[in-house]
Amino acid sequence: MGGLARLTPLLAAEEDPQPGAVASMSPPGPAPALATLSPSLVDSPPPPASYLDPWRKKNDQLVRQMKVTQDSGLFLRQQLSAQDALRRFRELLHILQALPAAVSALPLELTVTCNFITLKANQTQGFTEDQAQDIQQGLERVLEAQEQQGPRLNCGIRELWNTVLQAASLLPELLPALHHLAGLQAALWLSTGRLEDLSLLLQMLNGSQNVASEDLLLLLKSWSPPSKELDAPLTLQDACGLRDVLLTASALRQGLQELITENFPRALISLQAAASGLCSRPVLAQVYTALGSCLRKMGNPQRALLYLVAALQVASVWGPPLLEASRLYRELGDTAAELESLELLAKGLSVAQSSKAPQVLIEVELLLPQPDPASPLYCGTQSHAKHLLASRCLQTGRAEDAAEHYLDMLALLQDGPEPRFSPPAGPPGSCVTELFLETAAALIQANRAQDALTVCEELLRRTSFLLPKMPWMWEDTRNGAKELMNCPLWVSAVYFLQGQAWVKLGASKEAVSEFSRCLELLFRAPPENKDEGIASNCEPRCRPDVALQHLRLAALVSRGLEWVTSGQHTKALQDFLLSVQMCPGHQDASIHLLQTLRRLGRKNEATALWWRLEAQMKLPPEAATGSLPLYLETCLSWIRPADQESLLEEIRTSLQEPSDLELPGFL
Amino acid sequence: MARHLELLAPCRTLYVLCAGSGIYCFALDTPGRSASQADDGSSKGDSQCPNQAAECHSQVDEDPCETEEGHVESGEPPFDVVSVGPDACVLPDPSLCAFTLLGDLLVTVSQGPGTWKVRLFKHLCPGPGTEPGAQVGEVVVPAEPPQAPSFLPVLCCVSPPCSRDPHGCLPGPEGSILQEALFGLLFGADAALLESPVVLCGFPDGQLCFVVLKTLVTSQTAPGDPKVLVKVLHHLEEPIVFIGALRKGPQPQEGEDTPADCLVALGHHGRTLAIKAGRDEAETLVPEMQVYRLPGPVLCATCNRGSLVYYSTPSRLHVLNLSSGESMHPGLPPLLCQNSVRVCKIVALSSPRDPEDSTKLLALSAGGRLMTCHVALEPARMTARQATSKIQNLLSDISSVSERVHSLKKAIEQQNQALTHLHQALDLSCALLSCQSSPKPIVCTTRPFWRAQGLHQELVATCRLENGGPCSLGPGWSWCIQVLPSSHDGATTYTVPVQQLAPGACFEVTLALCSGEDEGSIPDLPVTVSHMLFYSLQEVVGVLLAPVDTEEDPLGVAWPQDLLPPQDGACLPLGLHTVDLLQGLRFSSLATPCLPPTSPIDIFLANCQEQGSRPGGRAALQAPSMVSIRVSSELLRATLGDRATGGSLCCSTLQWLLTENTALDIVRAGALSSVQGVAPDGTSVRLTAQEVLVVDLGSEDPIPAVEIQVESPSLATVCQAHHAMITRIQTIVTEQATPGASLPNLRVQRLRQIQANHEALLWEVQALQDKLALQSSADTQATATEQLLQLYRRLRNPSLTLL
Repeated sequence: MGGLARLTPLLAAEEDPQPGAVASMSPPGPAPALATLSPSLVDSPPPPASYLDPWRKKNDQLVRQMKVTQDSGLFLRQQLSAQDALRRFRELLHILQALPAAVSALPLELTVTCNFITLKANQTQGFTEDQAQDIQQGLERVLEAQEQQGPRLNCGIRELWNTVLQAASLLPELLPALHHLAGLQAALWLSTGRLEDLSLLLQMLNGSQNVASEDLLLLLKSWSPPSKELDAPLTLQDACGLRDVLLTASALRQGLQELITENFPRALISLQAAASGLCSRPVLAQVYTALGSCLRKMGNPQRALLYLVAALQVASVWGPPLLEASRLYRELGDTAAELESLELLAKGLSVAQSSKAPQVLIEVELLLPQPDPASPLYCGTQSHAKHLLASRCLQTGRAEDAAEHYLDMLALLQDGPEPRFSPPAGPPGSCVTELFLETAAALIQANRAQDALTVCEELLRRTSFLLPKMPWMWEDTRNGAKELMNCPLWVSAVYFLQGQAWVKLGASKEAVSEFSRCLELLFRAPPENKDEGIASNCEPRCRPDVALQHLRLAALVSRGLEWVTSGQHTKALQDFLLSVQMCPGHQDASIHLLQTLRRLGRKNEATALWWRLEAQMKLPPEAATGSLPLYLETCLSWIRPADQESLLEEIRTSLQEPSDLELPGFL
Repeated sequence: MARHLELLAPCRTLYVLCAGSGIYCFALDTPGRSASQADDGSSKGDSQCPNQAAECHSQVDEDPCETEEGHVESGEPPFDVVSVGPDACVLPDPSLCAFTLLGDLLVTVSQGPGTWKVRLFKHLCPGPGTEPGAQVGEVVVPAEPPQAPSFLPVLCCVSPPCSRDPHGCLPGPEGSILQEALFGLLFGADAALLESPVVLCGFPDGQLCFVVLKTLVTSQTAPGDPKVLVKVLHHLEEPIVFIGALRKGPQPQEGEDTPADCLVALGHHGRTLAIKAGRDEAETLVPEMQVYRLPGPVLCATCNRGSLVYYSTPSRLHVLNLSSGESMHPGLPPLLCQNSVRVCKIVALSSPRDPEDSTKLLALSAGGRLMTCHVALEPARMTARQATSKIQNLLSDISSVSERVHSLKKAIEQQNQALTHLHQALDLSCALLSCQSSPKPIVCTTRPFWRAQGLHQELVATCRLENGGPCSLGPGWSWCIQVLPSSHDGATTYTVPVQQLAPGACFEVTLALCSGEDEGSIPDLPVTVSHMLFYSLQEVVGVLLAPVDTEEDPLGVAWPQDLLPPQDGACLPLGLHTVDLLQGLRFSSLATPCLPPTSPIDIFLANCQEQGSRPGGRAALQAPSMVSIRVSSELLRATLGDRATGGSLCCSTLQWLLTENTALDIVRAGALSSVQGVAPDGTSVRLTAQEVLVVDLGSEDPIPAVEIQVESPSLATVCQAHHAMITRIQTIVTEQATPGASLPNLRVQRLRQIQANHEALLWEVQALQDKLALQSSADTQATATEQLLQLYRRLRNPSLTLL
C-alpha cells in the first residue's frame, strides 16, 4: 500500500499516543479455548459415577471436537461439523430437559444450554428470539427444580432473573453455570440494544441492587463470574471470556453511539476503554478508526491521523480507516492525499472478501449493530469508493482524472452479470442515471465531447422504451386534455449535456437543437413531479423543482450563448431575459443579459440591470445550490461568465462616466 | 429430503437443496451415467429439464393417478443411483429454503425468525477443503407475521434482452428473458441501465418482491439496506407457489428466441396475477395488471414458452391460456380459457423449452411417478360408445375408491378408539394403583346370602362392581373374582367380561361360595373373595395388530408379529373380602315369625330342608361346646358409636357382629341379646351377649364388659364363629388403639399371670404338634388330637378379656 509510505513519516514525527495499545491485543483465536481445554486433559481421579455421566461425556466430547475442527482450517468441513454439533447439542438438551428438574443435574443442563446458545448465535451470526427463549427455559428449569413454578411463568424475563438469582444464592453449585447463562443474556441484550435490562441484570449479578450505578462499563468490570470447578462440564467459552468480550463490545458500542450524538469527549473515553480491552485485530482496527474519527471531529487532525495509521497497521481491514483518512485530508485541504486515499480505498475494496470461518466463540463483532452510513465504521462498497473518487476529482477540478474514473466505473458496471454496483443507502432514486450524467459531464469538462455524446446516446438507447413515444404533441397540451408530459428530469439533462457536447465540438446548430429539445421537455414538465410512475422513480437527492429550475436556467443561458456565438443577439436576449425572469437572483444569468444588452446598445436597461445586480451582490449569496446533483453543478459552472469581475468593472467604469452627467438628470 | 434441484447446463452440474442441511453440488458426467443417458435418448429435452434428470432414483409405485383426455406415458426411468457424500456440500446451511442459479451466481433464500434472508454467492464449487464461494451480498427482508410453515419461497430469475451478447446472458433453467419495456416498467430504469438480471421472490406471506442482482453487493462495512435493495412488486395475500414469465403476444416462430412479455404469479388458493406492459391513450407506458381467480388449491405450476400455464390441484392438472385469442387485442384477457385433465396429485411440473413440444409436460406425482403428459387446450371429442365405457369406468372407480375410503376410515376409527381405550385404561390404572386415599373410581362389594337351590340351600355371594369414575369401562376389561376357601385348596376364579359399564352404573354377579362341585356341599368358611380388574391388550389393540396384507395395510404400517403376546394385559387388584361364619349364619327360627311360609309347599320344602340339613347326629350327641369372649364395654361403645345409644349394649353388640348378615334386620327389629342360628353345616349356633363385670383385672373397680358366648354342638362351628368374632374385634382393637387413651387401672400381677398361663399352654401345643409330626400311628394321633382339643378348650376358657 503506497498510502502507508506517505502516512508513516507522520507517525515517526509525533510520539505514539497509545504505546501499549497494540501490545494489549489478545492473541487471536483459540488461546482462551486451549485454556479451558487443558484441565480436562489432565487425568484426575475419576469422580464417583453418576447417572449424568454419559451425557456429560457427550457434552465434553462435542466441545473438544468443536475446538479441534476449529483449528483445522477447512471451511466447509468446519461449517458442516458446526451444524452437526449444533444438532447434537440440541438433542442432548432435549434429553436433559425431559428429565425432571433436579439441582444435581442442572449444572450440566445449563452448561449444555450455554454451549448450544453460543454455537447457535455463531451460526446465525447474531442473537434471535430463539436464544432468548432458550435462556428463559433454562431459568424456568432452575425454578422448577426448586418447585417454585406457577405464577412466575408469565412474568417478564427480568423478574425471572431476579427470582432465579435470589433462589440460586442458596445453591452455590449452580452459580458458575448461571453466571455463564447470564453472560449470554447480557450479550443478547447488548446486541439488541436493551441496555436498561442489561444494567439491571448486572446489578443483580453483582449483588448490589442498592448502588444505582448506571455505568455499564463499571458494572461489567465489577462483575466477576465465579470460577468453574475443575470437574465441571466443558464449555465452548467460559463466563470470564464472555465478560471480557462484553466489556470491549459495550465500550465500543457506547463510543460509537456518543460519536453519532456528537458527545466527543465521552466518546473518546469510551473508545479508549475499548482499545485497552481485550479484542481481536479487526476489532482493534475498528476502534482505532472510530478514535481517529472522534479526534478529527474534535479538531485534532494529527492525533487522528496517527490512530488511522495504527488502524491500518493492525489489521487488513482497509476500508473504514482509508475513508476516514480521506475525510481528514479533505478537511486539511490536502487534495492529493485525499484522492490517494480514495484510490487506495477503491483498490482495497475490489478484493473479494472471503466468507469468514465459523466461530465457536462469541466475539465482539457479533454484538455490534450493523454500521449505518452515519457510523465511522461504514465504508460502502467498491462502487461507492469509485464514485466518491470520481466525483471528488470532478469537484476539485481534475476533470481528466474524473472522466477516467467515471469511464472505469461504467465499464465495471456493465461487465458481465456479476454484481458490482451497490446503490447508496438513503431515499430510493435512480442512481445509475445520475452516474451516466455525471460521466457525460466529466467527459465534457475534460474536453472529450465525442465520448460524452456516446455515453448520452447509450443512456437514451437503454431507456428509450420507457420514454413516452410521442412527447411533442403540442396540440394535446394546448387543448388541455391531459397532462401527458411525465418525462423524468434526467432525460432533459441528457439533451442538455448533448447540447453542451456539441458546443464543445463547435456544432452550433446541433447544440441549439438539443437545447431546444431539452427546454421543450422542461417547460412542459409539471411544476411538481409528484407522480413519476414506476418507470421513472428517479428523483435526485434535492427537491426536484429546484433542480428543474436550475436546469431550465442552464439550458436557456447555454442556448443564449450559442445564439451569441452565431451572432443572433436578439434571440440570445430573449433567452437571457427568460432566464433572469425565472431566476431573478441568479448572477450569471444577469451578467449574460447585461452583456447582451450592452452589445445591443440598450444602455438604459443595462444600467437598470446593473444597479439591481450591484444591490444583489451586496446581499449574502444564496445557499440553495449546495444540494444540487453534481452533474447539475458542473453544468452550472459552464454558464459562469469567464471574466465576470473584469466585465463588471468595465461596465461600472463605462456606466459611471456618463453617469456623472446623467445621474443628476435622473435625480 | 430434496426440496429443489437445478441443473447448470453448460457444465452439467446438478445442484440439490436438501432440507435441513444445505446445497449439494455434483457433476452428472460420471462414466456409468453417460451410458444410461444415451439410452434414455435426447427426446426428453436433453438436460434442460431438471426434474426429469436421471439422478433421482425414481420410485414407481401403483399410484392411483389415471388419465382421461391426457395421455400419460410412464417412462422407464434409468435406475442410476449416485451416492452423494458430505464432500459435495457447497453451502451448508440448515435454514436454506430456496435457491436459483444464474451462471456461476447462486441466489439463496433462507429463513430466519420473522425474516427472509436473500443471499448471493459466486463460484460455488464442490470438493473437500476448497474455499467457500465468496458471498457477494445479502439482504434481509422482513416477513409478515403469519408465516405458513409448509410453504417455501419461490424464485424466478428474469433478465433483460442483452444488447451486446444476445446469447451470453441466458439465465438458468428457471429463468426467462423479459421484454425490455416490461422489464424497465417493473424494475425501473436502474435495472434497465445496468442490464442486470432480476430475481423475483414470491414469499409464503404473499409478498412478491424483486432484487436487482447487480446491485446486491454488500459487505460487513456496508450492510444492505432492504429499502433500497428489495422492492415489493405486489402483494398476493396468499402463499405464492409459482412465478413465471411467458409470451402472451404473437407466438415465436421456429428457432426464434422471443422474450417473454408477461409475468404471472400463482397463489396457493388460486389467486393469479398477470402483469404486462401496456400503453395508455397517450402512448405512455403503463403496467397492465389483472388478477384472476382459479380453482385452488394450487400445488405446483409451470409455464411453457408460449402463453400456456399449467398447474395442478389435488385432483386435476389444468392448463390455462393467457393469450386472448384475438391477436388484435393486445391486453390481458378478462377471462381465461382453460381445460383440465384428471391427473391428480402432481407435485412437480416441468415444461420443455422446446417450442415444438409445447403441450408435452413432465410431471411428478406425489407417489413418485414420473410421467410425460400431453394436455390439450381443447377437450377431445369422443363417441357415444367411448363415453359409455368411460362413464362405466368412472362409476366402478368411484365405487372402488369409496370402498377404499370406507376401509381406511374404519381403520382410523378403530385406531382412535383403541387409543381412547388405552388412554382411559391408563387413567384408571393410575387412579387405582396410586396410594392416595382419595376415593377409588372402581369399588367392589361382596354380600353373602343363602339361596335356595333346588332342595338345598347354598351360600352364595353377590358381588357388585360400581363404576364411580368419570369414564366408562369398555371392552377389553374383565372382572376376575377369586374365591379361596380357608383350606387354601381349590380356589375358583370367575372371569366376567365387562362389556360396558358407564360412569355411575354398577354390575352384579352372584356366585356360589362352596368349593365343591356337588350340590349342597358345605362352604369352607372363612372364604376369601378377591377382586381384580384385568385389561387385555389383545382385545383392544389386537385387531389393529392382526397381520394384514401389506397391500391392503390401510395406514401403511407393518407391525412386528410378536409385538404383543396373547396374554398380555394389566391386572389391577380391587380388594379382598372375607366371608366368615357370622355372615353365613342362617336364622330359620327367627325368620319364621317375620316371614311365615305362605304356601303349604313352602312349608313342606322348608321342613324337608331342615330334615335334610340335619347332621348325622354325632354332634348332637356330644355336649355342646362353648367359648366366650369378653370385650370391655368402653371399647365397644367407642366402636359402635351412635349405634350403641339406641338399645342395650348387648343388643348393639350382637347387631354389630351380624352386620353383614342378611338377617340383620330381624335381629335389629327384635332387639335380641341372644340369637339361635344355623351354621352352614346345619349345626345350630347360639350367640349370647351379656353384660358382666370383670373383677379380677381391675385394681380398684370392676371393669364393665360384654361377654359374648358362642355355643354349638359342633366344635368346628364354634371354632369358626370364634375366629370370625376374634377377627372383628381385633380390627376394632387396632383401630381404637390410640396412644393417648387412658387404660383403666389394671392389676398387673393378674395380667402377668394370665400371660404366663397362656404361654405355658402355647408351649404345650407346640410340643404336641411336634409329637404329631414325629409319630404317625393312628393311636398316638387320636390321643394327640384329644389333647389338642383339651388344650384348645383351656385356651379359651377362662375367656379372653379385651379391653
